[in-house]
Amino acid sequence: MTNPKIILFLCNWGPHSAFQILQDEAAEIPLEIKMVRIPCTGRISKALLFKCFEMGAEGVALVGCSPGTCRYGTGTTNASGHVEDTRSILELLGLGKERLRLATFLPDESEALLEFLQTFRDEIGEMGPSPVVPTQAQKPGTDPREALQRLAALHDVFACQDCGKCSSACPLTLVGKPFSPRATANAAIGGQISSPSVQNDIWSCLTCGLCSERCPSAVDFSRFVRDLRDVVVENRVDTHAVHGGFFHSLMRTMTSEDLQIRQWEWLPDDVTIDNKSKILFFGGCAPYFDLFFRRHIGLKTRDILVDSIRLLNFFDIHPSILQDLRCCGHDLLWSGDKPNFLKLAKLNARVIEDAGIEEVVTACPECYRTLLRDYPEHGVDLNFKVTHLYDFLENEIDKGAVGFKQLNRRLTFQDPCRLSRFENRPDLPRKLIGRLNPMDFKEMRDHGANAICCGNSAWIGCDSFSKALQVKRIGQAKDTKSDLLVTGCPKCQIHLRCAMEDPFKGESLKMEMMDLTSVLAKTIQWE
Amino acid sequence: MTTKINFPKRQEILFTGFGGQGIVLAGRILGKAAVIGDHKESTLVQAYGPEARGGACSAQVIIAEGTIHYPYVRYPDVLVCMSQGGFDKFIGDMKKDGTLLIDQDLVNPHTVFPKGNDKTYFAIPATRMAEELGRKMMANIIMLGFFTAVTGAVSITAAENAVTESVPKGTEKTNIKAFHKGYDYGMAVLKGRKKKASGKRGA
Repeated sequence: MTNPKIILFLCNWGPHSAFQILQDEAAEIPLEIKMVRIPCTGRISKALLFKCFEMGAEGVALVGCSPGTCRYGTGTTNASGHVEDTRSILELLGLGKERLRLATFLPDESEALLEFLQTFRDEIGEMGPSPVVPTQAQKPGTDPREALQRLAALHDVFACQDCGKCSSACPLTLVGKPFSPRATANAAIGGQISSPSVQNDIWSCLTCGLCSERCPSAVDFSRFVRDLRDVVVENRVDTHAVHGGFFHSLMRTMTSEDLQIRQWEWLPDDVTIDNKSKILFFGGCAPYFDLFFRRHIGLKTRDILVDSIRLLNFFDIHPSILQDLRCCGHDLLWSGDKPNFLKLAKLNARVIEDAGIEEVVTACPECYRTLLRDYPEHGVDLNFKVTHLYDFLENEIDKGAVGFKQLNRRLTFQDPCRLSRFENRPDLPRKLIGRLNPMDFKEMRDHGANAICCGNSAWIGCDSFSKALQVKRIGQAKDTKSDLLVTGCPKCQIHLRCAMEDPFKGESLKMEMMDLTSVLAKTIQWE
Repeated sequence: MTTKINFPKRQEILFTGFGGQGIVLAGRILGKAAVIGDHKESTLVQAYGPEARGGACSAQVIIAEGTIHYPYVRYPDVLVCMSQGGFDKFIGDMKKDGTLLIDQDLVNPHTVFPKGNDKTYFAIPATRMAEELGRKMMANIIMLGFFTAVTGAVSITAAENAVTESVPKGTEKTNIKAFHKGYDYGMAVLKGRKKKASGKRGA
């Protein structure tokens, strides 16, 4: 590769002076390097760093002030955190962490800066081109007004009786957000595509499905919103995305076929994997979540994956795992990026089928629902069976001779919407909880099919109302006098844990959380 | 399965329980499985007292590779107990290294086997499982499935075919389901013991 595409984010303060010296001296700054002058390296988020790679950059350098010389005090420290996290994600993704560098210079270190830039250019050149193919900007292929009518008919929105049951059930409306599913439905029926109820509110909807649960006309509002997002979206989802759109970038990057993903490198030695097995364990995005959030909420959702494999091993199932599986695409589908969802779906289906897999087991309710329902619904037919880990466990434990150790905790359970409501199986996790030996298990006020959302879905539209909703939900959990909040979805953990970080509510919101899979793995035993 | 009993040339099996539990039917199915399915020799002697319904009852089954000259079971290699009375009466006759199978809700074996010594016998809540399946009378078939798994005295296909042929018409499906319930339980128990023996009890 002779012309690598390299982005240089250059801090306005220290290193830019050094860069100007180089320009004044007409030094040989590599031409491949595109410089972007920035106010402070600390403000270049993981999403911005990653976005370059999504758009096809081969190398990114973040160059800031030497430690202690930051104009704003903490810029360099923040930058090193962001770079370190993004590098580990690039490594999992198979792009290689060496494509992203952080360097710091004093204003007079122009020679060192030049040497750094030249070496970086050479090294990136040796690494060769990036396997990432930038995804095409989405174009609204159909007339939005016509599409609105079509979707309203498809999901039976015309059946809306304007009764308001949806608004009285919607967890967002109930915490005071000026938001109403009914208003969106009305606007859709009237064909008002530019109405704020359509343009804005569809990005606030949690797609939790509680309104459809209550709707006397059985309007499938969640799926209507899902499909409407795909029509309304023009500049992709990014304007409404949370965390700077990092996760959407990540998923879109995964649509590149040539990526050599290494998502399982971290797996501990004490679990047994057999890549000849016809049973595949589908992990999902937990390893990426943990790296992204490790500085913020100390997340360990990948323990769910390890514990799932431990449980399979417990029943003498040694599943295969596939390194180059992608994200299931749930969040792209639900945030209006169907073309890229389809790419992921086709890639995953092909990788799984090529490996000769007969059954896919997953512990994530979103992966489960997406593989089981949304892949076939969007024309990606599967010639393998999709099983939720809970189903597998319930079936095996029911055979007998398996018991559970005493667990000195009082439990309550946060329902995952994709399993409890969309799949209408709130009883499945409860059967397993019923087999445990805790001191107590108490339901929250709203539970099962009536459970309140964890506050967000598909990484869009998080705001202060989401936070209020989460605080309310944790309050319900606290009211049960339980000391362990059992969850069934890694996203529930992420969102509720984030809410617990509230500096004003402080300790009053803290509550230990553990995924049901982990609780089972820690206490299960042969009798 | 390594924990399965290495089956000798001749095996004496005694089913005991109340009249009405289907003890004799279980014995007959077992014999049929051995003869028709596994091409062995087998005899069945059924014994019940005057109180046929609700009283003690037993079925003596012998399975052998060669000719059986004497059909009565004196010292059973395998004793299956579905009532406390049957257990109390016959446990003394069981061979020293014989295998005991009990319905754990109906038989308390602790008079003979002290607590904590539960590795010496196989227990299953057969009647409770049958109730969960909706028909208490299928406890015998569940027990037969359990018996097939832990003793390996007959092959599973032979036992399945014998069950299908012997139960009333129209109930084959539910009975096969019950048989598998017991069989899976037995396999799980064996697996659990193997895991415990190797020191890997948890996940």
